Amino acid sequence: MNPLELTLGIMTAVGGFVDISELVFAARAGSTFGYALIWVFAFATIGIIIFAEMSGRVAAVAKQPVFNLMRHRLGLKLGLVTLAASVISNLITCAAEIGGVALILNYLTGAPYLLLAAGMTVLLIVSIWVLPFKWIERTYGLLGLFMIVFAVALVAIHPPWDQIALGLVPQVPSGLSTKELLTFGYFTVAILSAVMFPYEVYFYSSGGIEEGWTPKDLLTNRVTSIVGMGLGSLLAIAILASSAQLFGPANVDPEIPGSAALQAAIPFGKWGLILALLGMLFAVAGAAVETCLANAYSIAQYFGWMWGRRKKPWEAPRFTMSWIALFGLAFGIVLTGVDVMTLVEFAVLFSILVLPLTYLPLLLLAGDQKFMREHANGAVAKLLGWFYFGVITMAAVAALPLFFLTSGGNG
Amino acid sequence: MGRQYLLLFALLAACTRGPDDDLQYIKQARSIAAEWALVNEQANAGRVNVTYVTAMHGWLRDGLLAASSSLSEPKSDYGAEISALLALPSDAAPATLRSHSESLKLIEDALESA
Amino acid sequence: MTPKGRIKLVSELLDLPLIDSEGKYCGIVDDVELTGRAGNSLKFRALLVGPGAWARRLPAWASWLVRITVGARVTRVPIDKIRTIGPAVRLKVPGRELGLHQSEDRAVRWIPRKGAL
Repeated sequence: MNPLELTLGIMTAVGGFVDISELVFAARAGSTFGYALIWVFAFATIGIIIFAEMSGRVAAVAKQPVFNLMRHRLGLKLGLVTLAASVISNLITCAAEIGGVALILNYLTGAPYLLLAAGMTVLLIVSIWVLPFKWIERTYGLLGLFMIVFAVALVAIHPPWDQIALGLVPQVPSGLSTKELLTFGYFTVAILSAVMFPYEVYFYSSGGIEEGWTPKDLLTNRVTSIVGMGLGSLLAIAILASSAQLFGPANVDPEIPGSAALQAAIPFGKWGLILALLGMLFAVAGAAVETCLANAYSIAQYFGWMWGRRKKPWEAPRFTMSWIALFGLAFGIVLTGVDVMTLVEFAVLFSILVLPLTYLPLLLLAGDQKFMREHANGAVAKLLGWFYFGVITMAAVAALPLFFLTSGGNG
Repeated sequence: MGRQYLLLFALLAACTRGPDDDLQYIKQARSIAAEWALVNEQANAGRVNVTYVTAMHGWLRDGLLAASSSLSEPKSDYGAEISALLALPSDAAPATLRSHSESLKLIEDALESA
Repeated sequence: MTPKGRIKLVSELLDLPLIDSEGKYCGIVDDVELTGRAGNSLKFRALLVGPGAWARRLPAWASWLVRITVGARVTRVPIDKIRTIGPAVRLKVPGRELGLHQSEDRAVRWIPRKGAL
């Protein structure tokens, strides 16, 4: 295990953890319910760590990314349904990320939103074309570390640490009306979805193949997923806690993503604002790249095409055309004028509906001794994996009713 | 005859949306007013730059317009509050904005407890 | 596992990725060609790759849609070209020899060969 590579891998995971959905829902969760939803972030993070570790292990041992084996495990028809559902979910998510990036650039530069969305789409395409895989991952992941300003800002506003700690205890606040309870339920489902987005697992496992992981890298995989994602989730929790401290008492339920940057502006002034906006910019841009590539990976792997950014674009031509076309489609969704917050709502909703289909084959593959040999899921991984699968299935069933009953969490 | 009454009831229900259906827009407007106040407060204290403030004003006003145009009862007291907010200049005093936000919060709380 | 042994068609062969002798992905096992008769032992003769092979496994309306959008091409991989069957089917020869890279070769004409580090 190369310590420098490992450190860079962890830092990349930290900087790349937060995307536009987590940003929005962390801020709104804090302003609406105080610290009461911190435990959901922690719970969901453990879930994504478990499945990310499994997907990295499958990549390293079976030398196949998840979607390659998805069709074999689920069969052609169910695999096609899973592919279609995850492509739609990831496409909407990618559109939300591109819209989010354009919004943040608008806050930074004042330039017109749609022009920025177009420019950013082109820049993202160029960056994936030009840079090798490792540089793509590292650039956006490491620059996303500007997000650390949110954690520092939380410390600077002297929050009630005892209440934050209590927020880690699974709870439902007492004295809520029926509608507020339903809204709490919706936020729980939405946070679970935002943290455990399917694209994260597809990207992580394909990334393992891109980086040539073997069984020797299993420890790297485990440390990166546990430490990287664990620390990354602290940034999301910091946004929630700051929101509880600053926005809740001020009657603010952030209606636009730009309000989150005030969390760093209030204690640190203009420099805090700039750092927060830069952190948001690179984290969300990185997520746009990941969602698009995850989709292209899924399509290419399902149909058996050549794939991978470790190859030059012309060495995997159908894969290349896929990710360019997907960026185009995502930009097309942004062009329709649907606002970013609405895209985020739909991304989160579609994602939770797809999650059981995403994680079931992974769970089966990671536990299959024929593929995984002595590295198949042990008792703990099996127990936790199936437990989380049960939870996300229940969340998937509850998602649509909760969305309609609470008008998308707006009460 | 029973079916005709059912159809009439359904039609009436669809036409008379009322304050309960406007609740989400009241909440939205309440929050936007409060966000606007927070932005202006930070701007007055020199903690945020002009580019950010101008952009935020634009987006907040768009949100308020969207909420206003979605109301089923624009001539209600909450409709009047939102119209009053829209009439304010971008650099309105935070205290003025907060007072509108608080008025909307009272209406919101009353509707939720009804 | 080698292709001559006993094999469970669905759980051990169908829908596995194909990797050629150069380590390149060249499709998925979309269907298989068998000899023999029902009631007697069946032997598999070749793998079938391409939309013409997998579309047949879908409902009629979906199969028709696939045919009119991407065509009905089928490429045949005879059993003697297969080295091993495991998490992937590995071939003894480059995919190009079997006609497995045709679509990639058509697509590459649209991709400029410059700019990538």
